[in-house]
Amino acid sequence: MPVIRLHYRYLERMTGVDRETLLVHLPMIGSDIERIEEDHVDVEFFPCRPDLFSAEGVARAMKGFLGRETGLPLYSVTPSGVEFSVDPALAGIRPFLGSAVIRNVNLDEESILSLMGLQEALHWAVGRGRSKVAIGIHDLDAVTPPFSYIAAEKSRAFVPLDFDREMTLDGILQEHPKGKAYAHIVRDFPRYPLIIDARERVLSFPPIINGELTRVTERTKNLLLDTTGTDERAVATAVDIICTALADTGATIQSVTIGEREIPTLSPSERIVSSDEASALLGIPLDPAMLSALLLKMRYGAEPAGPSNVRVLVPCYRADIMHDWDVFEDAAIAYGYGNFRGELPPTFTIGSPHPVMAIYAVTREILCGLGFQEVLPFTLTNERVLATRMQRPLKDSVLRVLHPISEEQTMVRTDLLPLLLEMCQLNKHRELPQRLFAVGDVVEGTETLPRAACVSTHPSADFSEAYAVADALCRELAVTIMVTESDDPAFIPGRRGTLACAGRDIGVFGEIHPAVLNAWELEHPVAAVEIDLTAVPGYPGQPGTP
Amino acid sequence: MDLSLNEKRLLHLLEGVKSADPETLAAGMGVSPESVTQFAYLLADRGLCTVERETRSTFHLTEEGERYAREGLPERQLLASFEKSIPLQELTRHPLARIGIGQMKRKGWVVIRGGIVEKTGRDSPGDDERALQDPSQGGPGLEELRRRNLVAEHQETRYRISITPEGIEWVRRGLDMSEETGTLTREQIVSGSWRDLKLRKYSLKAPPRRVYPGKIHPYQRLIGEMREILLCMGFSEIYGGLVQSAFWNFDALFQPQDHPAREMQDTFYLKETMPLPGGYERVRDMHLFGGETSSTGWGGRWSRERAEQCVLRTHTTSLSIQHLANHPDPPVKAFCINRVYRREAVDPTHLPEFEQLEGIVMDKDVTFRHLLGFLKEFYNRMGFSGVRFRPGYFPYTEPSVEPEVYVPALGWVEMGGAGIFRQEVTAPFGIRHPVLAWGLGVSRIAMLRLGLSDLRLLYKSDIGWVRETPSWLGGGDSRVEGQRCR
Repeated sequence: MPVIRLHYRYLERMTGVDRETLLVHLPMIGSDIERIEEDHVDVEFFPCRPDLFSAEGVARAMKGFLGRETGLPLYSVTPSGVEFSVDPALAGIRPFLGSAVIRNVNLDEESILSLMGLQEALHWAVGRGRSKVAIGIHDLDAVTPPFSYIAAEKSRAFVPLDFDREMTLDGILQEHPKGKAYAHIVRDFPRYPLIIDARERVLSFPPIINGELTRVTERTKNLLLDTTGTDERAVATAVDIICTALADTGATIQSVTIGEREIPTLSPSERIVSSDEASALLGIPLDPAMLSALLLKMRYGAEPAGPSNVRVLVPCYRADIMHDWDVFEDAAIAYGYGNFRGELPPTFTIGSPHPVMAIYAVTREILCGLGFQEVLPFTLTNERVLATRMQRPLKDSVLRVLHPISEEQTMVRTDLLPLLLEMCQLNKHRELPQRLFAVGDVVEGTETLPRAACVSTHPSADFSEAYAVADALCRELAVTIMVTESDDPAFIPGRRGTLACAGRDIGVFGEIHPAVLNAWELEHPVAAVEIDLTAVPGYPGQPGTP
Repeated sequence: MDLSLNEKRLLHLLEGVKSADPETLAAGMGVSPESVTQFAYLLADRGLCTVERETRSTFHLTEEGERYAREGLPERQLLASFEKSIPLQELTRHPLARIGIGQMKRKGWVVIRGGIVEKTGRDSPGDDERALQDPSQGGPGLEELRRRNLVAEHQETRYRISITPEGIEWVRRGLDMSEETGTLTREQIVSGSWRDLKLRKYSLKAPPRRVYPGKIHPYQRLIGEMREILLCMGFSEIYGGLVQSAFWNFDALFQPQDHPAREMQDTFYLKETMPLPGGYERVRDMHLFGGETSSTGWGGRWSRERAEQCVLRTHTTSLSIQHLANHPDPPVKAFCINRVYRREAVDPTHLPEFEQLEGIVMDKDVTFRHLLGFLKEFYNRMGFSGVRFRPGYFPYTEPSVEPEVYVPALGWVEMGGAGIFRQEVTAPFGIRHPVLAWGLGVSRIAMLRLGLSDLRLLYKSDIGWVRETPSWLGGGDSRVEGQRCR
């Protein structure tokens, strides 16, 4: 999540509230304080509130929350006369464009950094790493309107930001650091998006890099904003958030003509919400007047509209408001989470364990009674553990993860026994005898199945011990077994048995093969048992259903 | 003064060798070394021998230590990564910079002036680096390595048994080697012949043999405790597959298909697919335009193929929503404590798999206030008396809340997330009443309660730790078993 740096001095000036009060209330509007420093605080805001990714946005929200300035913030927009055309050939590439002209900005080094910070945070939260939306900010006075957003030849060239020579669009993707980082978004298209001015000069190669020509400096007075992307709503949101933040610093916002439309309007959207519904959701009595008062603190426009309705004006920058309940959550925040009196619901129900969990619990009890100690191995493992070291073929049904994070964890366990031997290896230096067990899920195909396994290692561990434990475990689980000779290569021939129940193999036991012991660097014999707990009476018929 | 036969045999043996360890003497007597120690303590009580107990520490390298022994300490590797000087900013990009820069400075190998790191030339190998090559030699560098957790101590207790002049005197006077009874036989007990036997005495000074009972893993025990609390509070347990379709894991929970949490770098995707359930179109419509609710939906596109792709479940909420879809009528109170997966590299505080606890309550007229009441009750029963609430954000709840509990040593600690399922989540499944939901990482509580700083210990268990951790974890605070099921 983006971390926003807020300088106390600026925030105090914007809100008229001292830093101590700000620090106390920041978490209560929905944020995590990361670090408190001498002159600033680093705050992490939730990704649903990109309007709080700037000091201006935070100041706007805090003023409402603290009651210093409530209700809908009003923004006026005048036409700039600037026209922007969109090339229909961009339809399958990056079709949507948003824009605005911002005049009379007052930029210094710090405010440029802050603006870039907002831009980056929006790229992350709204732009999904620039793929959904990318934002460009330009010095308007360096170029000549009207502007065109076109699908350009890959061989077209311009001077990208931070370079002093012309490069082709393809060259930028190969050589420029930003080009390399974001090439994947556009690489497969036949033509690339490009923004040019009336004299065919390049402003930007979205979503990759701006041109050096329109670099924003401390001398820049007027800005041109462009947002391009694949989602119309998100493209507009980015414009609204940047424009309102700059308007709060005193700049003038002007609209741009794109086709038939004048954008942005920075006007709110309207919703009629029910105070009864809010009351039922939150569990506090709310009439339209009370609900309105809470919403005004959260910078909505709000006024009672009938006996149980409130007409709500949602500020343009609140892209997160999708549903009436989003509005009610803000009412709850304004009310103060600390002011809710928690209460247990009167719902009467009788709790019950899930049959599989009940089987796991009794299996644990039995194995503990037999002297085994529980371990909780990982479910993610690898072929070396499941197959190679066990002298077993890897099961066809093994489930592999597509993008493993390490060689150790490439597949989901199909058996527990290999994990127990790994555990023995890890604990080689610990006192013998060691009797370990695990119960838990394994996966075959996409099916999750319950298993139990145990191992016993000490100088006289042998087949008889394994047989006795397998027999006791099955007896205690009320599983009637038939025992036949096994051909499991992990065990010593002649010292291994298959457990069958109702004509189906449900487990294996015996003395682990010395070659397997060697592979695990174990020095003492190991007696082992593994059984499939689906054979236990009472196991639900449809595995995997909750 | 009576001596048992075994004590006499030991004394006899000692008189020949004067001094030996229990293992040597055990071989001579044909008994276990533990028994020899027992006998020796009995003799020592009478001043016939001495038992010297010596605890010796040996040191060995930890996994991290072994790596540095091969590759050099981080500061040494870092020092070797540049010539005479380097800008600090550039050096911080080195993967070992976080540990290495501070150590280089502390050891005086470098000075940092105006953002430039310069070698001082005084960087010959220190005691710690010598000790790293051979920790068994001890020496001044060892303490430093222990502090950095690069060597670990292993304690070993050895005994040395020596005969005293009095003991020699006793042997010279002649020992009566007639039989004494150790273990009583059935015959002796039944017949009453035990009355004529000389029963050997055991010493209480010799430590008992340590035995380790079969036991439930401490972490599992904590999970069991939470399970009991929820069962007592009337919740039914749910269980389900580790493999879920992205539909149940994400789409059904109104996570947009382009949400960062759904990306490959955070989720374990599988090549397998699962068919979508009947009525999936209602979920699709919710994403596209908000279905029949007051919601706008996410807009954009919705791909059926993306929804069919399988993942290792990233939360047990995928089971909760399926449970609700199967039981849309109130009331429902259900919980699940089970394993979930995130694509995270293994380190002391992150693992790709861990346990999550999740609870849901669906009923007519339940409210946000009930959610807060529930959370408070649950955390109180887990032993946290201070609970407070902050606004939170989760894609599938609205309102959302982050509960925090007060831990005396740490202050307020974030403890999971909660909220009321959005209508965008519940409406497609015909669920007409609010669903209160909360979840938390169980391992977080386990670390607090078991005093662990490394999550890995829970899964790659050192069985020594499991053996030494008491089964009863409730002592020492107000969590008394009988109070739990009021």
